[in-house]
Amino acid sequence: VTSDAALGGTALDGTAPARAALAGLSGLPGMGPNALTALLRGRSPQEAWAAVCDGRPLADPAVAAHLGRQPVERAADWTQRARRTDLHQVGAAHRAANVRLLMAGDDDGPERLDGDPEPPAVLCVRGHLDGLERPTCGIVGTRSCTPDGRRVAYALGRDLAAAGVSIVSGLALGIDAAAHRGCLAAEPSLAGGGGAPVGVVAAGLDCVYPPSHAELYRHVAESGVLLSEAPLGTRPDRWRFPARNRLIAALSDIVVVVESPSRGGSLHTVESALARSREVAAVPGPVLSAASEGSNRLLADGAMVVRGADDVLMALGLCAAGRVLGPGGARAVRDAVAARGPDAVATYHAVGTTPTTLESVVTGSGLDFGRAMTALQHLAAAGLVDDVGGYWSRAGRPA
Amino acid sequence: VIAQIRAATLLGVDADPVVVEAYVSSGLPSFTLVGRGDPVCREAKERVRAALASVGCTWPQGRITVNLAPTVQPKVGSALDLAIAVALLLASEQLPPTAAVGLAFLGELGLDGRLRSIAGMVPLAEVCGPRVVVPAEQFAEADVVEGVEPIAATELAEVVACLRGDRPWPDPPPPQRRPAAPRTPDLADVRGQPVARKALEVAAAGGHHLFLSGPPGTGKTMLAERLPGLLPDLTPGEALEVTKVHSAAGLLGGRGLLTRPPFEAPHPTASTIALVGGGSAALRPGAISLAHRGVLFLDELGEHQPASLDALRQPLESGIVRVHRAKGFVTFPAQVLLVGAMNPCPCGDGAPGRCRCRPSARARYERRLSGPLLDRFDLRLHVARPDAVDLLGAPPGECSADVAARVAVARAIARGRGVAGNAQLPGAALDRVAPLTPGAARYLADLLRRGRLSARGLHRLRRVALTLLDLDGRHPPVEEDDVGLALGLRVEPVALERAS
Repeated sequence: VTSDAALGGTALDGTAPARAALAGLSGLPGMGPNALTALLRGRSPQEAWAAVCDGRPLADPAVAAHLGRQPVERAADWTQRARRTDLHQVGAAHRAANVRLLMAGDDDGPERLDGDPEPPAVLCVRGHLDGLERPTCGIVGTRSCTPDGRRVAYALGRDLAAAGVSIVSGLALGIDAAAHRGCLAAEPSLAGGGGAPVGVVAAGLDCVYPPSHAELYRHVAESGVLLSEAPLGTRPDRWRFPARNRLIAALSDIVVVVESPSRGGSLHTVESALARSREVAAVPGPVLSAASEGSNRLLADGAMVVRGADDVLMALGLCAAGRVLGPGGARAVRDAVAARGPDAVATYHAVGTTPTTLESVVTGSGLDFGRAMTALQHLAAAGLVDDVGGYWSRAGRPA
Repeated sequence: VIAQIRAATLLGVDADPVVVEAYVSSGLPSFTLVGRGDPVCREAKERVRAALASVGCTWPQGRITVNLAPTVQPKVGSALDLAIAVALLLASEQLPPTAAVGLAFLGELGLDGRLRSIAGMVPLAEVCGPRVVVPAEQFAEADVVEGVEPIAATELAEVVACLRGDRPWPDPPPPQRRPAAPRTPDLADVRGQPVARKALEVAAAGGHHLFLSGPPGTGKTMLAERLPGLLPDLTPGEALEVTKVHSAAGLLGGRGLLTRPPFEAPHPTASTIALVGGGSAALRPGAISLAHRGVLFLDELGEHQPASLDALRQPLESGIVRVHRAKGFVTFPAQVLLVGAMNPCPCGDGAPGRCRCRPSARARYERRLSGPLLDRFDLRLHVARPDAVDLLGAPPGECSADVAARVAVARAIARGRGVAGNAQLPGAALDRVAPLTPGAARYLADLLRRGRLSARGLHRLRRVALTLLDLDGRHPPVEEDDVGLALGLRVEPVALERAS
């Protein structure tokens, strides 16, 4: 299946009604990329929309095959929803919200989607697509990440963007957000040769999910681009997330998993990346950390090891030298800890690399509560340790 | 003849005097009880009739009216049985007219004339005194109140005989050896866990509410149970308050004055009424009042009804529970040291990287605690499983008595500031009693700027820092390291999206 077939084979008219019809179709409940592709085969978007409004999608066996376990109900659902929808309003709403409706065949569409096995029929775009002209790196991982995972994702996003790599991610809690926050903090920005953030989300661009990320959405759209297959007003339904993950994989030259538990959406992104022959890499994590179970398994299965931005740059062919994050700073950390006295050394030793309760730190340090706590506060002030919700961990490198 | 007998009725944890009036006139035999008695109180008719018959007295022939004055005051329970019986005997001239002068009567009657114990003996005896006839098994309870000389009687026959002058009132029973109070668990049993031990000590010394979060089996309950043992003995005034509450709830069980801080651990399924008090017929004190001047332990805080937890907020602030009724309200004392415990998340582990909960499930779990309630806890910490080495090899920890000695000193210092514990210091007084060194002030300013501390949290942190100082035997100003220590004992709930 080629992207031409996906878009109906008929001569593409890039008119506003066609785009609005695609957006309307894409927002129907359960309308995945495959169902939409089947529906558009041999029909223009407007014809497909009319077919849905007339309640005829079941008539086409190719479409009916994508209607799930309850095809009759699903088709009726589509028809009912389509009849309530005014395509003029759909088009006007997108124009008013400054959201472009991009369809395959558009000159400035993302090239990486050409020849994709499951191309999107329509993309809602807010921001500018220049970032996708650069090399791209997808950074994905668990929503419930460790402080270390968040730090690594942030540093990867920042350092890769500084080196001119655009960062593709899903704007979810945890790793996704950290990677984009890092990307936004990078110098130089896109205009100066840096990478841009590319946020790919499952719901409509006005249905911010999670709601706490409204500001992050805004910043990403300002410095880069926000993309969604769903038209405005579409809620973040469950089934849309795997579809969103395949888009992240399709838009990335390499996908880096920072932290993933044994099951999770990041692993779905990995599958999609492998199906598209994209490079898959992972950041090694502690073997006892459940948050790294999935990513460590990827490494055991042969995924590329990422210790820092330089490893990714090398994989992208952008950097020859082997300068990476990590051991270089170890001596500086050791000296910085030692300079704060024996209590600090004992306490730092007790903190360890995985998040630890205060109780374990104090017990492990062999000091009484007061001395250990004082030493911890001094280490925290120096940026050598950090706590999140009462769990302490080493901060990796001196601030 | 109109007979008038003094007695009392319970309202919440306090009692009001009642006069039982009886009048027997000629007419068709009938019995009318007026004066707002509740159903249990009105059933006195049947109990008293049987009891009189069984001790050989006669039920007055004629039209009997019993009035419980003052009539506006509702009367609850069976405490008036004995008084009604005596009033009937006087009104029907089966007793000499002056037999009951200077006496009050409290107690429920069995059908065989036996005196049964009643709830609320301590407050009831207090308003009836000085000479009040009580069931023998409650002599110790009635004897708690200064100035009350209770007379113990086991059955109605004995009371009647003494009132007729056939025999003298019995002497007070010899002071019984108090049944040894159940041994409160000792802190020496806790191995390792230096932070939790310190937090208990600080909670006891400053009256700071304590929140324990930790996986199942880390000893949250064990720690909480040991907190009352660190608190000083109740003062005589406090002891009477506590004893009255337990008496009103009918939980004193023949014990006399309670001198140790109580410990209450209501089950998570407890209703709001069971927690804060109230009830439709008799107003009963709730768990928070039973824990007055002691420790209220709420385990599995997330499993409690949100409405019940919210109902706790106002009493925690004011130290009293007000139960409103159509006519006025009743207050219960409720000054407690609150200990809350909870698993960190549904899967129980909680540590980042080890927790296996979905973020939404975890957020839902954390939302069960309203922010304002969580904010009441000055001390919040994670309890970790003690080390195997600590459990097996280590010597026992410091015992409760040693810690309690330090706590007593800190409490004495706090009393010098005009409060029972530093947790009650008003925010406005902090600058005066707990000045900061310039370094400490800078540190706090930095925490505020970084959003690590709220304005409300600031006061709470300073109070805890002051308690740490008191326990160390040092004098203000509060130093930077004290602030750091206090901060370590007040963990912020996990913020999912703290900027990297």
